[in-house]
Amino acid sequence: MLLYNLRLAWKSVRRYPVLSALILLGIALGVGVSTTFITAYHVLARDPVPGKSGSLHYVRMNSWGVADDPFRQTPPPLITWRDAQELLKSRVPARSTATFASRGTVFPPDGTRPSRQSLRLVTADFFPMFDVPFRYGGPWSREADARPETVAVISSALNDRLFGGANSVGRTIRIEKTELKIVGVLAPWRPRVRAYALVSDPLGAPEPVFLPLALTGPMELRPAEFQMSWRTPAPGEEKLPYASRLLVNEVLFVGFWAELPNPESVRAYRSFVDAYVTEQKKHGRFPHPLNNRVTSVLDLMAELKVVPPQTKALAVISLLFLVVAALNLIGLFLGTVLARASTVGVRRALGASRWTIFVQHLVECELMGLAGGILGVLLSLAGLAVLNRVYGDGPKGVAFFQLDVPMVLAAVVLSLLAGAIAGLYPAWRICAIPPARHLKSQ
Amino acid sequence: MPMLKMDNVSKIYRTGLVETRALRDFSLTVDEGEFVTITGPSGSGKTTFLNVSGLLDAFEQGTYWLDGMDVSRLSDREMSRVRNEKIGFIFQGFNLLPDLDVFDNVDVPLRYRRLPAKERKARIEKAVAMVGLSSRLRHLPSQLSGGQQQRVAIARVLAGDPKLILADEPTGNLDSAMAREIMEILEQVNEAGTTIIMVTHNPEHAARAHRQLHIADGRLVDFERITPFPLNRVERTESSRQVAG
Amino acid sequence: MEFGPIFRSLLRSRARVILIVAEVALTLAIVANCLSLILDTRAQLARPSGFDDEHLIAIQTNPFDDRLRDQKVLDRLVDQDRRTLATVAGVRAVSHTGLRPWERSGNITAVRVPGTHGEPARTQSAEADPGLFDTLGIPIVQGRGFTEAEYDHGADAPLSEVQPVVVSRALADALYPNGGALGKPVADAEETQRFTIVGIVDRFYNPFGNTSEKVMFQPARSVGFDFGSRYLVRTQGNPAPLMPQLEKALLGVEKGRFVQLRTLVDSRDEFHGRDRLLVASLNAVMALLVLVTALGIVGLTSFSVAERQRQIGTRRALGADRLAIVRHFLLENWMVTSFGVVLGVLLAYGLNFGIVTWVAGAKLSLATVAAGALALWTIGLGAALGPALRGARVPPAIATRNV
Ligand SMILES: Nc1ncnc2c1ncn2[C@@H]1O[C@H](COP(=O)(O)OP(=O)(O)OP(=O)(O)O)[C@@H](O)[C@H]1O
Ligand SMILES: [Mg+2]
Repeated sequence: MLLYNLRLAWKSVRRYPVLSALILLGIALGVGVSTTFITAYHVLARDPVPGKSGSLHYVRMNSWGVADDPFRQTPPPLITWRDAQELLKSRVPARSTATFASRGTVFPPDGTRPSRQSLRLVTADFFPMFDVPFRYGGPWSREADARPETVAVISSALNDRLFGGANSVGRTIRIEKTELKIVGVLAPWRPRVRAYALVSDPLGAPEPVFLPLALTGPMELRPAEFQMSWRTPAPGEEKLPYASRLLVNEVLFVGFWAELPNPESVRAYRSFVDAYVTEQKKHGRFPHPLNNRVTSVLDLMAELKVVPPQTKALAVISLLFLVVAALNLIGLFLGTVLARASTVGVRRALGASRWTIFVQHLVECELMGLAGGILGVLLSLAGLAVLNRVYGDGPKGVAFFQLDVPMVLAAVVLSLLAGAIAGLYPAWRICAIPPARHLKSQ
Repeated sequence: MPMLKMDNVSKIYRTGLVETRALRDFSLTVDEGEFVTITGPSGSGKTTFLNVSGLLDAFEQGTYWLDGMDVSRLSDREMSRVRNEKIGFIFQGFNLLPDLDVFDNVDVPLRYRRLPAKERKARIEKAVAMVGLSSRLRHLPSQLSGGQQQRVAIARVLAGDPKLILADEPTGNLDSAMAREIMEILEQVNEAGTTIIMVTHNPEHAARAHRQLHIADGRLVDFERITPFPLNRVERTESSRQVAG
Repeated sequence: MEFGPIFRSLLRSRARVILIVAEVALTLAIVANCLSLILDTRAQLARPSGFDDEHLIAIQTNPFDDRLRDQKVLDRLVDQDRRTLATVAGVRAVSHTGLRPWERSGNITAVRVPGTHGEPARTQSAEADPGLFDTLGIPIVQGRGFTEAEYDHGADAPLSEVQPVVVSRALADALYPNGGALGKPVADAEETQRFTIVGIVDRFYNPFGNTSEKVMFQPARSVGFDFGSRYLVRTQGNPAPLMPQLEKALLGVEKGRFVQLRTLVDSRDEFHGRDRLLVASLNAVMALLVLVTALGIVGLTSFSVAERQRQIGTRRALGADRLAIVRHFLLENWMVTSFGVVLGVLLAYGLNFGIVTWVAGAKLSLATVAAGALALWTIGLGAALGPALRGARVPPAIATRNV
């Protein structure tokens, strides 16, 4: 029976080619446009560290300076080096890491012209916390952080460039004046939203080099992305060696993450941070009232508006587009279906039940819906390609916006739904009319 | 003066390679005030003749005077105007506009004539009263019986006050009682001076005309007056005679 | 006109009317909001920096050779670079500055009028050499620029000394709302350092950190081994072809460093990239939506014409000429579209309210809604025209045909 219905559907497509094309185009555009913009939204809004965003927490402390407005609602987005060092000592979180981005000159082992690269300073916990995938080797140890050891983890792209893609674990590269031993090479990795860099550049690509945070002082690495300071350096402070300066200045440039798996640990950690700040107040720091934040990834994303509001607006608008397309379909289906009222009358007179007629028309609508949906997915690929020209990582990089399986499934379901919604009323209309009326009509 | 005068009019339908000569050198004169019926086998060209004479369809050859005016070569606009002002159509299928109620249906030709609202209203009410449907002004066609629908169609014609009424099997879809009713109204209208040309399959109805024409294969076959003018009245039924006074 | 009968008959073909009304209403709501978002964004995109963007190149140099770790060497290198760049044919002016137009980066500091309390004014601040104003193409409208003597001295000046600064009009007004900022003092938020306003520039727009129009220029050198140094070059003609020469010239002076060149127009385009994409997306959505809606109206009107062939024939028989048939369908469509437009105006405001409160964006302006409504009316009529003309071609003889 389904086969027969499919054949009838195919016949009617052939009978009204222009109209069928219009219907197809309507669904395809509706599905294509909404899939494109919902994908764009979904890529940015989805959990950036699947399964872990609930437990990863970002720490902020109310370290605004004396001169700043004491009524500021939110504490500054970054913390100082010395506070980060203190927080790292806490054993309340299962894992914690402090991180910032720097820049440095990377000298290839073969002595060719060096290149300037972004560097990310992290602690060993960073890699398991953010589910960083490795191709060769792995993260350095916590001991390596403590000593610190001159080790590095490099991206697969840099490994390709410097070592032709071979396993380079154990080899060395020179960054600035320091020789570093490679302990790990990442697998190709392009999170669309970099959870660990939410406050600076969440949509950027991961850095090609990861170094132990403790090397910041010895290697004299300066923050490259974003730093704030509310205090002009005291006289003589600038003459201190860099590593000592880090411990006395009030420059905010470090992001701090703690893995807190349950509400109890979050609560415990909050009181730990508050206790720390209260203690520091005794030394004349943190002049403003207690206002520290321990925020989960998804909350922080919402607070920082990582998903541009325009993207959200576009997603809403494109959904409405789909509604218009569906309304459109109802109209077109209604037209075709009623145009065939008399043939239906004959079928009814020949003994087709109301249900048979209903199913026959619904099958036809679903067929169109499915075909339009497939076309729509193809259209959205084109749409995403256009978006990627702006967001993308360049010719060799991974496209920024990609359809994933859930989105394709959603698109197909959406088109079937559109077909059903659009087909239901016309199919009901046609089977509700008594057969006699079609036969004697006009 | 003849109401309608056709000289050697031909009408050819071309469908693909097939040519159908629906009217062949058709000549006919109908006088003002006449009631003419047309009979003939199916496909003989009766409807075609009505279409041509009602300016619904163009014809290839010949000339056609309507009410003293040569209407052989008119623009669409002029033809529409002639149809609107001089001709009234009654169809077998009634052809009421299903979305419009009785009042609005009768109103249609008057609108095209751009009559002022007041006059239209007066005409509509009068015409609907003449067919005895005053109580149904706001009914939709689907809420009326076949005979009532045809009476609305006649009211639509009457409201326009045409000189010539063309009717294509106006009783074809009706039972005999209804059909008789319609015939009586038409005769009454003719009585008032309107020329009527009616196609019918019903020999009884055909016989009631002043003149009975027979078409076969696109030609008039019998041109003579079957019944002379005065005799016709004798054959009228009881009731219509009363109406006629 | 046949308003009455058409209106009454429309009430009876409900499904079709509801569909078109809903489609038109939703389309209008979406189009009006898209338009509003587009206008909003376009206004941002069109805002000029005030600089001669079309003739500017930004150059970033970063030393890697260990020889260059000596600050004195770097300082000397800056002067060499400035001289060398200035001699390249086609170069109009050169500046060594920390300003980074259109790059969403730079310095932000808080300043105040000395002796006052309360929230200090946040402003961009950048190091500038005497050539900066000429290079950017922003005239000093009050006071003066910097002298070479001030510039050379800049980095080494003791904190106690009062430094000259040039500020933008927006900052001057924020500090001294009653005017007369020229010659007046400014200090950092803690008042550890004092400045005197020696010049005011009128035009300055560099969107970054909510301080787009405020800037304070200091006569200082900004150069260091870890952050390199930065030049702006103003060219006489098209800047792009000059870039290889400039790069060669700089590497000729010192090749132990990286040199990156970029036209300001490129930076600006990148800065605007996402907003442009948004505008393009909105335009595309709008165009496609209008297309879909127009197709829908064409479809529905075509059906209603096809369905009513016999009625058209009847009307023709009753005296309607072709024009009357076209008019009938257009009028009918116009009435339905108008319902949709009225409903759509309400929906547009509703949707706008939702977008403004839940997402972001500007309030809908009356003109935008009016433009959208007008557009939909036109589209509605345009879409109905084809089917209406087809309707007019229905032969009147169809009325007598007995199917
Ligand atoms: N539109 C048309 N195209 C082609 N041929 C047509 C057309 N209309 C009528 N004809 C042909 O012209 C001839 C006359 O048709 P017409 O409708 O005038 O017959 P009729 O006498 O009214 O028949 P009936 O009594 O069945 O209504 C027929 O052979 C018919 O097939
Ligand atoms: Mg006939």
